[in-house]
Amino acid sequence: MLRIESLCVSYGDAAALTDVSLDVADGELLAVIGPNGAGKTTLVNAVAGLLPARAGTIRLAGENVTGLPPRALADRGLALIPEGRRLFTTMTVEENLDIGCYRPAARGHRAEGLARVYDMFPILAQRRRQIAGTLSGGQQQMVAIARALMARPRLLLIDEPSLGLAPIIIAQVFEIIAAIHKSGVSILLIEQNATRALAVARRGCVLDCGALVATGTPAELDARGDIRAAYLGGGH
Amino acid sequence: MISATLLGQSVLSGLFSGCLYALLGLGLTLSWRYLRIINLAHFALIFLAAYIAYWMNSAYGFHPLLTCLAMIPAFFALGVAQQLLFIRFKVGEFASVIVTFGLTIIVESLIQWIWSADFVRMETHLARGSLEIGKLLAPWDELFMCAVAISVCVATWACLNFTWLGKALRASLDNPDIAASFGVPNRALALLVSGAAASFAAIGGVFVALLYTLTPSSIYSWFGVVLATVLLGGLGSPLGAIAAGLLIGVGEAMTMAVVAPSWAPIAPFTLLILILVLWPERI
Ligand SMILES: Nc1ncnc2c1ncn2[C@@H]1O[C@H](COP(=O)(O)OP(=O)(O)OP(=O)(O)O)[C@@H](O)[C@H]1O
Ligand SMILES: [Mg+2]
Repeated sequence: MLRIESLCVSYGDAAALTDVSLDVADGELLAVIGPNGAGKTTLVNAVAGLLPARAGTIRLAGENVTGLPPRALADRGLALIPEGRRLFTTMTVEENLDIGCYRPAARGHRAEGLARVYDMFPILAQRRRQIAGTLSGGQQQMVAIARALMARPRLLLIDEPSLGLAPIIIAQVFEIIAAIHKSGVSILLIEQNATRALAVARRGCVLDCGALVATGTPAELDARGDIRAAYLGGGH
Repeated sequence: MISATLLGQSVLSGLFSGCLYALLGLGLTLSWRYLRIINLAHFALIFLAAYIAYWMNSAYGFHPLLTCLAMIPAFFALGVAQQLLFIRFKVGEFASVIVTFGLTIIVESLIQWIWSADFVRMETHLARGSLEIGKLLAPWDELFMCAVAISVCVATWACLNFTWLGKALRASLDNPDIAASFGVPNRALALLVSGAAASFAAIGGVFVALLYTLTPSSIYSWFGVVLATVLLGGLGSPLGAIAAGLLIGVGEAMTMAVVAPSWAPIAPFTLLILILVLWPERI
């Protein structure tokens, strides 16, 4: 589904990602974990076309999409649940969802999509006319997830969905992510909360200082003493 | 003490002016909010349209509404071209004031060069005479202008609030990157806003020509009232522009009737300064 080869991204002169290669198979949920400032958001934004790649290639379903604008990537089935949710905070919940299915290809499935996400998040159905910026953090995360689902993605990029949420909400969010994955969507899941992320993933990568330091199944990662000590310890 | 009829007539003429202020301010308020461009050249476009309507009428006998229809797409193209240049040269909010003021001066000189600095007046009316409401007179031309102003503003408001286009525009303002990643074409929308704003200038200009005597330097006499309308109405708000326009128009007319005509321009400018000082988050 997604194949990243030797990706390098920098902000001005400061390199944020160096030589990162990874792939997400069709229908796979790959977790990328790593500490603050490791370059996780940079990775997601580069894949979504929001940041230019300095070197390397990004392929979606075999096609080289390096350097394509975000809109073209959306047309190819990619959707983003960004870090910090980044809702359209002055618009209503339903208007946010409408932008999710803005592309002509998704627009035709609006009613179906709304029924699905309102079924998944009944609270959003009740709040559909509320301004998104006035929702609680957990509800905002639900809108961000629902907005991305409205786009009918084949590959979903999820950046730190647990950020700033209460533990009980985090558990719900991860259940939803597992359910979306089960419905056949490929997912690249970024998390600092390694325990949670590796619980829903078959495979994980560890990113630190802009480079991949390990890849493997949760059990393999856990078996490596150095990785466990440095990255898997603090499952908040 | 002034008579009830005179007072009523003042209020009425204030309402008419108010509608015109809203019509002239609409393009300005849209580009200010959605493009972060304070487009003073909007006034120049209004006057360019007014002079073209006058000239097509007096020299070739074209009906002003016909000229208006022809100018709408042409001005749309001008608006698009202007925005393309602004994007190309990365003109920001502050720079836009200076650049567009410069453009206004250039267009003013151009108008003066083509049509001279003399006062000119279009002789044609859409309809002669007035509607009589009791003792009050409402000229048909002004009534028609009000109908157009209100229709255009309401249509724009509906478009912003209830269409895919309007939602995309608001999303693009709120969070352009994320909007783009859901397929919103930010750049095309910006060009559309700029084009639409310029088309509104064409419509407004035709009514300025129908209702007022023209001279190039009177471009500047519109700055105060229209900017006050835009700021008081709230940036990007077509209905706000109507409400604010009416308030300012009536306020101005009352000042004229009750105090003295020469005091009229003081009302909008006082209001403008008060808004800027007391309500800075309005911008
Ligand atoms: N816009 C920017 N300009 C300059 N440097 C940036 C920018 N964004 C991020 N960086 C730097 O790039 C590096 C990677 O940042 P990134 O946001 O990708 O990390 P992250 O793994 O997502 O961290 P977090 O867990 O805090 O979200 C950091 O050193 C950061 O300071
Ligand atoms: Mg991050």
